[in-house]
Amino acid sequence: MEQAALALEMLDITKTFPGVQALDAVSFGCARGEVHALCGENGAGKSTLIKVLGGVYRPDGGTIRLDGREVAFSHPIVARRAGISIIHQELSLLPQRSVAENIFLGVEPTRFGILDRRTMRDEAGRLLRRLGSSIAPASLAGDLSIAHQQIVEIAKALAIDARILVMDEPTAALDRVDAGRLLDLVRKVSAEGVTIVYISHRMVEIQAVADRVTVLKDGRTVMTTTLAEAPTGRLVRAMVGRDLADFYPPRSSLPPGPPTLNVRGAANGQLHDVSFEVRAGEIVGVAGLEGSGKDALARALIGDEPFEVEAMEICGRAAKPGHPRAAIQAGIGRLSDDRKREGLLMQQSVRDNATLIERAFAPALRSPTAEPMSPQSTDKRLIQLDVRAASFEQEAQFLSGGNQQKVIIARWLARDPEIFIFCEPTRGVDVAAKAAIYQIMRDLARRGRAILMISSDLPEIIGVSDRILIMREGTLAGELPGGATEEEVMAIAVAHDREPHAMAS
Amino acid sequence: MSDQQAIAPAPAWRRYSAAPPLLLVGSILLYVGVALWTGQTRMLETDGVIGLLQRMVGLGIVALGQTFAIIAGSIDLSVANLISVAAVLASFIMQGRADMMLAAVLIVLAVSALVGVVNGAIISRLQVSPFIATLGVGLILQGLLSASFTDFAGSVPKEFQLVAYSTFGVVPYSVAALFALAALASFVLWATRFGAHLYAVGGNAEGARLAGIRTDLVTIGAHVVCSLSAGLTGLYLASRLRSGAPWVGRDGVYDLESIAVVVIGGTLLAGGRGGVWGTLAGVLLFATLDAAFNMLGVSAYPKLVLRGAIVILAVAVYTFRTRGHVA
Amino acid sequence: MTVAIQGGRERARAVALVRRVNFAVVVFLALYVAVGLLQPNYLEPAGAMNFLRRAAPLAILASGQLFVLISGGFDLSVGSLVTLTVIGGSMLTANDPSKTWSTIAALYAIGLFVGLINGAVVAYLKTPSIIATLGTLLSVNGAAMMWSGGSPRGYLPDNFRMFGRFVFHDVPVIGIFPLAVAVLVAVCALAQWGLHGTVFGRRVLAVGDNPRAAELAGVRVEFVRLGVFVISALSAVTAGVMLGGFGGVSVDVGRGLELQAIAACVVGGVQLLGGRGTVVGAVAGALTLTALFALLTLLGLPQPLKDTAQGFILIAAVAIGAWRRRRAV
Repeated sequence: MEQAALALEMLDITKTFPGVQALDAVSFGCARGEVHALCGENGAGKSTLIKVLGGVYRPDGGTIRLDGREVAFSHPIVARRAGISIIHQELSLLPQRSVAENIFLGVEPTRFGILDRRTMRDEAGRLLRRLGSSIAPASLAGDLSIAHQQIVEIAKALAIDARILVMDEPTAALDRVDAGRLLDLVRKVSAEGVTIVYISHRMVEIQAVADRVTVLKDGRTVMTTTLAEAPTGRLVRAMVGRDLADFYPPRSSLPPGPPTLNVRGAANGQLHDVSFEVRAGEIVGVAGLEGSGKDALARALIGDEPFEVEAMEICGRAAKPGHPRAAIQAGIGRLSDDRKREGLLMQQSVRDNATLIERAFAPALRSPTAEPMSPQSTDKRLIQLDVRAASFEQEAQFLSGGNQQKVIIARWLARDPEIFIFCEPTRGVDVAAKAAIYQIMRDLARRGRAILMISSDLPEIIGVSDRILIMREGTLAGELPGGATEEEVMAIAVAHDREPHAMAS
Repeated sequence: MSDQQAIAPAPAWRRYSAAPPLLLVGSILLYVGVALWTGQTRMLETDGVIGLLQRMVGLGIVALGQTFAIIAGSIDLSVANLISVAAVLASFIMQGRADMMLAAVLIVLAVSALVGVVNGAIISRLQVSPFIATLGVGLILQGLLSASFTDFAGSVPKEFQLVAYSTFGVVPYSVAALFALAALASFVLWATRFGAHLYAVGGNAEGARLAGIRTDLVTIGAHVVCSLSAGLTGLYLASRLRSGAPWVGRDGVYDLESIAVVVIGGTLLAGGRGGVWGTLAGVLLFATLDAAFNMLGVSAYPKLVLRGAIVILAVAVYTFRTRGHVA
Repeated sequence: MTVAIQGGRERARAVALVRRVNFAVVVFLALYVAVGLLQPNYLEPAGAMNFLRRAAPLAILASGQLFVLISGGFDLSVGSLVTLTVIGGSMLTANDPSKTWSTIAALYAIGLFVGLINGAVVAYLKTPSIIATLGTLLSVNGAAMMWSGGSPRGYLPDNFRMFGRFVFHDVPVIGIFPLAVAVLVAVCALAQWGLHGTVFGRRVLAVGDNPRAAELAGVRVEFVRLGVFVISALSAVTAGVMLGGFGGVSVDVGRGLELQAIAACVVGGVQLLGGRGTVVGAVAGALTLTALFALLTLLGLPQPLKDTAQGFILIAAVAIGAWRRRRAV
């Protein structure tokens, strides 16, 4: 018997957009049942490559082969019919429709032209059980947690008998336990013969789940290798093009100052009995699973969904911010975890973005370029943060994720709040920009600001924080010093409400 | 991977809107209350109630179509103008001759379907926002119509007037037709792939496209349904008024009112959720308000002022709890 | 990141320069020349001044509508507010010239009230502005009819009509200078300052671009919305006072003006649903529409076909805008 052809082969794929070469002769291939990781910095070309594979973009050159047969996709529907299913980073479920309707979206079974709802429900249930899940097919997709929505997305792929499943950062919004479960599922599906292309920034996951890995940089293939031959250090080097030895900045040797933020027994609908303090000059990390209340805590502190039972002091003064503006006036700044929806003005210039807060508080009829909103002082901050843009008049939408994040930080630096809340500060940010953002946080702390960092990324919590608060079921469950192990943090985060085996994922 | 506990299906109140039954009860209470208060108890007898239902027909038919457009995440502001076009075209072609009835109806429906295709294609292919696209098409239609006709044009034969004035026993044809169309629309939304895809495109257009749905065809389909329903309303008005004039659609404010009753009926203005029974309940509320104003003897102009305010308030009831931002 | 293609930098600079000049300005000049070829007195100073006078109400409406559009909304009530202004003017002055000034003050107060209602319904009741202002359109139209009993008659006093009709004669260089043009220039300057020269203008852009981000950065989004609808309503009263001087009092002076104002803005490159737009664009768009209507009249097209032309322009302008944006990304 001759050797079987590769399940998927992409050869010399080239794609040019006006002014930029997004893909330059990129090649990679995967065998049947293989989990193939695709990694690279933001802008390396991963998303473009995936969109070419999914029929969203047409390549300028190159060939795609499935099981040795050459194919060309003109519309996502053609790729889907060829057995390619893509789970995009932004989930594409319909929140108002049932799980069954979502799973069979576009491939609804019919009898005599009429929707066969019974078959839809039964088949959906069967697919979900095959994935070891007991989500009811009749529940609304919008009611499910992100983790469960991911499972529905996978079932959706299986419903079309996908031979190739592409997952784009599937764990980005998941906590550690759910991420671990998802990885188990990836192994299970690949064992059934489905080829999986797995895109992630998280090296640990790639090490845990992938058979081989392809690294992209600047639209070119840097290397393809088996995981056994590629320790994390070598992968990062290939992605970034240099070593990142001191990834996390050194902690401060000075003792922290007086408490800047003091919360005693605060509560609202999602939180109860929350008490903690953050001192001037320290970075306090907040860890916790999804739904533990760590996101609700950030929203409560900035008055977006305020505390109802309130005992909050800022620099010794009682504060009760009822909306974001009041929180800013009280001295709290917050970098949102969703910079696209809650941070950026995509169509406004970098400068306009960096002066938004000053302009929110200046008198309405003042000139928009009066001090401190002048281009000179704004540019100084942007340059200090090393924001890379063609020009500071460029629209924010054209910046990379890391630079966008820095523009929002620049906005807050102009206000210079006493307390700085960073929510998932490095989500969707490439490795080099990550290090820069950690350094900015440390510099702020050194200048006497109190920093609260809320994150699902445990290594970052452990590497950056001076102290770690762990949340569980809407309250603080424990505290650990900086440098604690991931196991110690997880033990507190999952205690009681999870089976012990879930810890070791 | 296993879940610790089963994820229960959503309770019924999450899946079905509470709007239709509430509106139904509210309308009945209002109607009966005003009739009793003004002492016009004959409005509660068969004739009065039939009269109320008959008030629903014109707005009801076009609102069924508007429901499709809105569920698909679109909107159609050209319906009022298309209604005028349909009414004028029908009576102009018939010129009072019964033998031209079939031809006139077919031509009106074909023109309506074509307008729907144009609306849908401008929205999905040229990527013009539905609001501007249908507004523009409405202006084009109205301009062409007003340039060609300035007054009542032609007339419809006696036979065609039966559509509006004849009955099965006590039930007028038109009322029966409205409910039959509603049942058909409800079936299409619930039990066909087209229906499922309408909700998908309205709920998450990009997600639907990535799932392999031809979203442009779905949008065009929704607009064809909407325009056909406007064409039917035009035919009905021609039958009731015995002739068509270029202002019948605009005077009925069918564009705004059809959108308002759809939203009042619990369909999300952003698309992706809703149904025709809610719309019909919204139409009933408007017909009841109209009847109540008449019974109370409110004169024409104050009625206009109240109508505007009621549209705003009725929609606001659904929107004021919105957490996000609305512009 | 991605690799930039070398070369063509000078061409890019030239393209950038052309892009900075508003597209509508170019279209307007071309149309105006075409009108001038058909009717040469448009090319004389007096003809041009008369043209500007006739364009003034629409340009004023467009510069008010601009604020609402940039904030992400629509104001469909301005046409009916123009009607109410004209009818209200005739009812309140009752042919008594001494009441003109108090009447104008009262009309601005009515405008302020309508603007606040629109803004409050959108900002606090969260009703989409299309529906909210369509509702106001119905109510305000009904109020105008009710006030006049459905059949308004007569003219406004001369000192009221002055804003639309008065012309300074024997002005050097240009010959005549209509008061309406002076008002237009003042309104444009005010709008230019308000949008591009104040912090408020940047907040309007921010709210239109991303209201949630603006709110989290401390912008009082509700106040911004109230502000833009008030600006739009006040511009409608201004346009109404001017139109009162143009012709007689009737119930449909303002009919369709809201759509013309939106069309003018869209032609001028204002982005629907917010975040992008300039005063120069809106005014150039209004002039373009007025020139186009003049051209259609000169070509002998019947009045209703102006609607048809406007429909085509509206769709084409938005489609071209969408196409250019797709190409740019």
